[in-house]
Amino acid sequence: MVQPDHTHAPRPVPSPYTGRQEIDLDVVREMLSHFTYSDHEEAQELILSALQEINEHFGWVSFEAAEIVADHLGTSATRVFAILTFYADFRTTPRGHHHMLLCHGMSCYVMGSSKLVQKVRDEYGIGDGDTTPDNQLSVQVANFCLGVCDRSPVVKIDDEYYGHVDPENLTDLVNRAIAGREAMQASEVNHG
Amino acid sequence: MVSVKPGEHLTKLTSKDDYIAFREQAHQKWETLWNGDATVVSVGVGSSSIAKGALEVLEQAHQVGGNAIIREVSGNGAFWMEPWIEVKRPGVDPILYGPLTVDDVAGVIAGERNDLAVGVRGANPVGEIRPLNEHHYFKHQIQLLTRNAGLIEPDSIEDAIARGAYDGYFKVLFEMSQEEAIAEVTTAQVRGRGGGGFPAGIKWESGRKARNNPKFIVCNSHEGEPNVYKDRHLHECDPHRILEGILIACIACGAERGYNYIGGEYPLGIRRFRKAVADAERIGLIGKDVLGTGKNVAMRVRTGGGAYVCGEASALMYSIMGVRGQPRTKPPRSVEEGLWKRPTVANNTETLANVPDIIVRGGEWYASLGTENSKGTKLMTMQGPSKLSGVVEVEMGVTMRHLLDDIYGGMREGYTFKGIQTGGASAGPITEDAFDRPIDFDSLSDIHGMLGSGGWVLFDEGVCAVDMARYLTAFSRYESCSKCVPCRLGNPALVEILDRIRFGRGSLEDLALIRRTSKYIIELSLCGLGQVAPVPLVAFLDAYEEEFRQHIVDGVCKCGVCPISADSRQAVFTEVAAD
Ligand SMILES: Cc1cc2nc3c(=O)[nH]c(=O)nc-3n(C[C@H](O)[C@H](O)[C@H](O)COP(=O)(O)O)c2cc1C
Ligand code: SF4
Ligand code: FES
Repeated sequence: MVQPDHTHAPRPVPSPYTGRQEIDLDVVREMLSHFTYSDHEEAQELILSALQEINEHFGWVSFEAAEIVADHLGTSATRVFAILTFYADFRTTPRGHHHMLLCHGMSCYVMGSSKLVQKVRDEYGIGDGDTTPDNQLSVQVANFCLGVCDRSPVVKIDDEYYGHVDPENLTDLVNRAIAGREAMQASEVNHG
Repeated sequence: MVSVKPGEHLTKLTSKDDYIAFREQAHQKWETLWNGDATVVSVGVGSSSIAKGALEVLEQAHQVGGNAIIREVSGNGAFWMEPWIEVKRPGVDPILYGPLTVDDVAGVIAGERNDLAVGVRGANPVGEIRPLNEHHYFKHQIQLLTRNAGLIEPDSIEDAIARGAYDGYFKVLFEMSQEEAIAEVTTAQVRGRGGGGFPAGIKWESGRKARNNPKFIVCNSHEGEPNVYKDRHLHECDPHRILEGILIACIACGAERGYNYIGGEYPLGIRRFRKAVADAERIGLIGKDVLGTGKNVAMRVRTGGGAYVCGEASALMYSIMGVRGQPRTKPPRSVEEGLWKRPTVANNTETLANVPDIIVRGGEWYASLGTENSKGTKLMTMQGPSKLSGVVEVEMGVTMRHLLDDIYGGMREGYTFKGIQTGGASAGPITEDAFDRPIDFDSLSDIHGMLGSGGWVLFDEGVCAVDMARYLTAFSRYESCSKCVPCRLGNPALVEILDRIRFGRGSLEDLALIRRTSKYIIELSLCGLGQVAPVPLVAFLDAYEEEFRQHIVDGVCKCGVCPISADSRQAVFTEVAAD
């Protein structure tokens, strides 16, 4: 397992009531205030976009956030949840502290991304959509193209892309990405 | 992140003359930019180059550029030269440099790094540096849709207008009737680029004739296939062209609102398209009483959530309406009953991007390009171990040999050719036998091949046919919306059979079972996804049956990809015996 330095990274805050990690609903309300509509049809058209913005910001959409979306756009929470569980981009559980997007588009497949998927499974015990038990790493296996085919196979860890990845050095990359990001945050803390 | 160019200086134009004056200004600005005494530094920023550090290069150019004008343009489709910078020095044609790193930027701008030069944008060499159009990657292309790629700032409506954007829209607004506009599209014989190849003119005509109002135009920019990125490229390099295509369709069909449904997979393209819409609204090309003509057009951008099936037109409309994107049975067709039960014309991004040129230069001109049944140019992408990689635009009817060898430079060293997968997850592979056929919408169909959206996937001897067939079938299994039984249950069954073979537990009857199951799925599925889902598998079986047999009979995967190796085979058998 990865042994990153936990000291400087912001840990997810569990709710005092449920013990689960939760989404700050005030931020959700603020985001939704930009979604205005003139009729019921337009309101329905905005459900997906609103969920997408929340998903992008937090990495997932909680049931509570979905309820607020439903309220704001005049629809039912069931309908919002039906959408969340249909479209592949949405997650209904929190992401890990670091997120890996493993490209499994055709170029990457041809150049060996299956081995990377297997490596992640062997090394971290997780597959598409999973998070490690210590919440450090979550992975999404993308069956679309990340658009960097000339460097296939490609993984994206947090905001960094890595090309020509081979299974031998994948763990190394994960460790480095984790260490790198935390080093940056540490230095921000120091300067602040 | 990337900065957004402000558009606040743009004011609303309310008449034809206003617009003509604005266009004139844009032209002048463009001329001054290229013929003035300023040094102009353009950095190619697209999702492919951002991954390689283009934003850092751009930032560095701002740092060290001194008095130079720094522009953020898009990528030019040539992935292999990214990140790149173009430097225009006074009195000299612009020169492109790449691939480079942040450390090279200062030297490049100072003119000290001719070793990094790729070519000149212009007809004549500059010293030792040859024109870029002589490079084999560009030489054979005909760039119509992509002629602004890497040239204009996609965030600047003035750049786009200076390069001819909205000339077609202008013509449709002031000089043509709806019938005339549609007649040009019909004469052009432009066929749908979303995979189906349906003639756009006929669809538009039914849209215009539909009597139910309001009507809508939907641009299908979903592009959920794992093998192609041409629509993303168009969005990133020339959003105004797409927007103009949609607006022309709105006027021609009498639709009051256009939609662009963009797959969630390309944030930069979405951002640039939104910016294009905002600017077009600011100058009054979208809105009420466009340029004083009394015509109203509105525009909405909607994003998808990563479900491939939402590329299917009826599913796409459900997705816009905020429900699960599951296809429905037809009729009614969407031109009769589409979005919000209104007549809706849906076209692929690339189809619509062809329209402005057709209107400006005429349908006859367009029909002079391409083959008998497929006109115009086609964007194509090549994935896998080709020497070069990226998006190209070529005339319909090129041969695969020309495309692969002359443009993409052939196979990368150390790889041996095995096949090229066509049509994403909807068709089969072609081998060298088909390399000399002119490629168009119909020419590959007798061998299970398909032009589709133009994404080719090159694969080499290291890729196992059984495993790749499984990959493609598993894609359809995963993406099935699970509305109808044959697709929902049939595809998992196929994957199961393939896994049996991959693990060394297959039998020869499995081959017949694959064909039988596939036949049912193809014949009984409700929508296009299920109807073609087993095609890749059947085609792989036809083309590489020997390899399937080797797995079953000899228990070997000669590529060493499948988990069938002697030990694992034994292990699996024991495991099976155990459970
Ligand atoms: C499963 C499935 C996925 C599709 N995906 C796309 C897509 O990503 N982009 C697209 O333009 N058309 C896609 N299509 C085709 C559309 O249904 C439709 O035919 C097309 O958008 C019409 O535009 P065109 O006539 O300009 O090609 C897909 C069809 C099916 C059955
Ligand atoms: S064929 Fe597949 S994707 Fe199409 S409607 Fe049926 S289950 Fe859904
Ligand atoms: S398929 Fe992985 S980057 Fe294109």
